[in-house]
Amino acid sequence: MNYLIPLMVVIPILAALIVNIFGGKDKTVKAISIVVAIAIPVIAIIAAVGIQYFGGHDPALLASSLPSNLMGTLVASYNTGIVYVFENIERIFIFLMGIVAFLAVLTYFAEKKEVSGPYLYLIFMGIASVTALMLSNDIFNMYVFFEITALTQVGIIIASSTEDNYEIALKYLILGAIGGPILLLGIGFILGTIGSVNINDIVFAISNNYVNPYAPSLVIGFALILFGWLYSAGLPPFHTIKSAVYSKARPNGSAILQGFSVLCMLAFGIAMYKIFAYVPYFNTAIIVFAILAMALSIAMSAMEVDFRRMIAFLAVGELGFIALGFGIGTQYSIAAALFQAANEIVITALLFIGFGTVYYLTKTSDTRKLGGLIAVDSKMAIMVLLGGFALAGVPPFNGFQSKLMLVQAALDAGYTELAILAIIVSVVIFFTFVKAFHTVYLQPKPKDLKFAHEKIPKATVFSVAVLLIICLALGIFPNIVTDVFIPFAGGLI
Amino acid sequence: MMDIQLASLFASGAFIIIGLFAAIFIDNLIKKIIGIAFIEEGVNLFLICLGFKAGGVVPIFLPGMTADWFAANAAYPLPQALVLTSIVIGASTLAVMLALAMVLYRKHGTLSVSEMMGDEK
Repeated sequence: MNYLIPLMVVIPILAALIVNIFGGKDKTVKAISIVVAIAIPVIAIIAAVGIQYFGGHDPALLASSLPSNLMGTLVASYNTGIVYVFENIERIFIFLMGIVAFLAVLTYFAEKKEVSGPYLYLIFMGIASVTALMLSNDIFNMYVFFEITALTQVGIIIASSTEDNYEIALKYLILGAIGGPILLLGIGFILGTIGSVNINDIVFAISNNYVNPYAPSLVIGFALILFGWLYSAGLPPFHTIKSAVYSKARPNGSAILQGFSVLCMLAFGIAMYKIFAYVPYFNTAIIVFAILAMALSIAMSAMEVDFRRMIAFLAVGELGFIALGFGIGTQYSIAAALFQAANEIVITALLFIGFGTVYYLTKTSDTRKLGGLIAVDSKMAIMVLLGGFALAGVPPFNGFQSKLMLVQAALDAGYTELAILAIIVSVVIFFTFVKAFHTVYLQPKPKDLKFAHEKIPKATVFSVAVLLIICLALGIFPNIVTDVFIPFAGGLI
Repeated sequence: MMDIQLASLFASGAFIIIGLFAAIFIDNLIKKIIGIAFIEEGVNLFLICLGFKAGGVVPIFLPGMTADWFAANAAYPLPQALVLTSIVIGASTLAVMLALAMVLYRKHGTLSVSEMMGDEK
C-alpha cells in the first residue's frame, strides 16, 4: 500500500483547504477535522514501509536511458525527482504527531464554541508540512516544508488572539526570514559542490570520494545548515523566541507547535548526521548547543512566574536532551535522542493541554495570582503532576527511560560530565515543576481569584488522560519504540 | 573582464550582507523587511549562479538536439527550478510580514521595532 505514503501529506493538505472553505459551518468543519485527525495516525500505522519516487521512475530505470556521455558517471545514479522514504521510525513519529493533533483538535472544539476555519487550516497545513519533512529524502524539499511549517507556526500564534501575539509572531517571522534563507544558502553550497539535493546522492558522492569531503564549500554548507537547524529546533540563540511562541499560542496550539519543532529538529538532525557526521567538530558543535539549551532554558524556567512561559522554557530545555544524544554520536545515544524526541512530543503536549486548563479556568497564567485549583478538578491536577514527573524523568514514566538511556550512553562514551549535567538538569526540572504545581494547585486560593469557567471540558480531561497513558505505556514497555530506534541509529552511524 | 558568474556570486554576497545588516541593525520595520527581501534575493541569485554554464544553452530539449549534445551544453536546470520555489516562499513570507507590519503600525502608531517590542511585556 505504498500509495499511502504520499497520502500522509495530501490528506492533511486537502483537509486544510476544505475546513477553510467551510469555515462558517461549524458542524461540517468539526466532522471533517475529527475524521482527518483520526485518519492521520491510522494511515501511519497501516501504511507499508516503502519508498515513493515522485516523477514516476527510480534512478536505475533512468540510468539505462541516459545520454552516453553521462553513462557510468556519478550523475547516472542520481535521483531526479523528490523521494519519500517511509520506515518504522517515520511511522512512530507521524503516529505520535497525529495522536497529539487529534487530541489538540478535540480540546480546541471542547473549549471554543465557534470554531475558526483558518486556525484549523493552519493546524492541518502544519501537520502536512512536518509529515513531509519526516518523509522527504531531499534537502531542498525539506527546506520548502520547513518554511511552510514556520509560516503555519506564525499563523497559529496570530490566530490564537492572545496578548502581544502579533509582536511575537513578527519577531519569530523575522528570525525565520533570516534563518530560512541561510539554510537555503547552505543547501546551495551542497548543490554547487555535489550537483544534487537528494540526501542519498549526497552521502554516496561524499562517501565514495567523488568530491573532497573536506572541501570548504561543504564545511560552509554544514555551518549554514546548522544555523537553520538551531532556528527550526529553537536551540540557543533562538530558545527565548521559541518559548515566547509556545506561551503566546492557545494551549492546544502550543502542544502542536512543540510537536512541529521536535519533528523539524529530528528531520534536519538526521539529515545532518547522514551528510556531515565526518566533519571535524560536528559532535562538539552539537554538544555545545545542547548544553546551552539545557542550562539556559532550565535556568530561565526556574525564574519564571508565568506558568505557560515556564513550561515553554522546560520544553525547549528538553530539546537540549535530544541534541545531546545526537552530539554524543554513538548508536545508543542517538537511539536515546530519538526516544527522548518521541517522549517530548507526548509529555509536553500533556503539560501544555493539562496546565492550559488553569488558563481556561482563570484566564491568567501568573502563578502569583493563582492557588487552590486542586479543589476545582483534582483528577486533572494529579494527571498534570504525573506529566511533570514524566518530564523530569521520574520512573515509571517514559521520560525516565529515555533519560536513563541518555545518561548510560554518555557514560559509555566517556562523557561523565555530560551524564552528571543531564542528571542535574533533570533534578532542576523536577523542582521547578513541583514548585509551580504547588503554587498553582496546592497553596491557598487567593481571595481575588475569579473563574471564567467552572469546569474543565470532558474532552480536555480525556486528551490529557490519553497522553498520560501513552507516557506510562512507553515507560513500562520502552522496547515498543527502542526496538526500532536502536537499529535505525546503528544504520545512521 | 570579470567572469560573469564570479561577478554574480560577489553581487549575491553583497545582497546577503546588506540584507543581514538591515535586518539586524535597522530599527524601522519596513527597512528591516526590505533587508530580509535582500537576503532572500541574494540567496536566489547565488542559486542561479550555480546553474550557469558559460556559452551554454537554455535547458529545454528541442527537436533536432541530440541527448549527448544537450547534456554537454545545456545549463544546469535544477537550481532554476529551486529558485522558482524559493521565490514563491519568499513572496509568501514577505506578504505575511507586511500584513503584520500594518497591524502593528495600527496598534502602536510607529514603525520602530524597539518601541513596538518595548511595549510588549
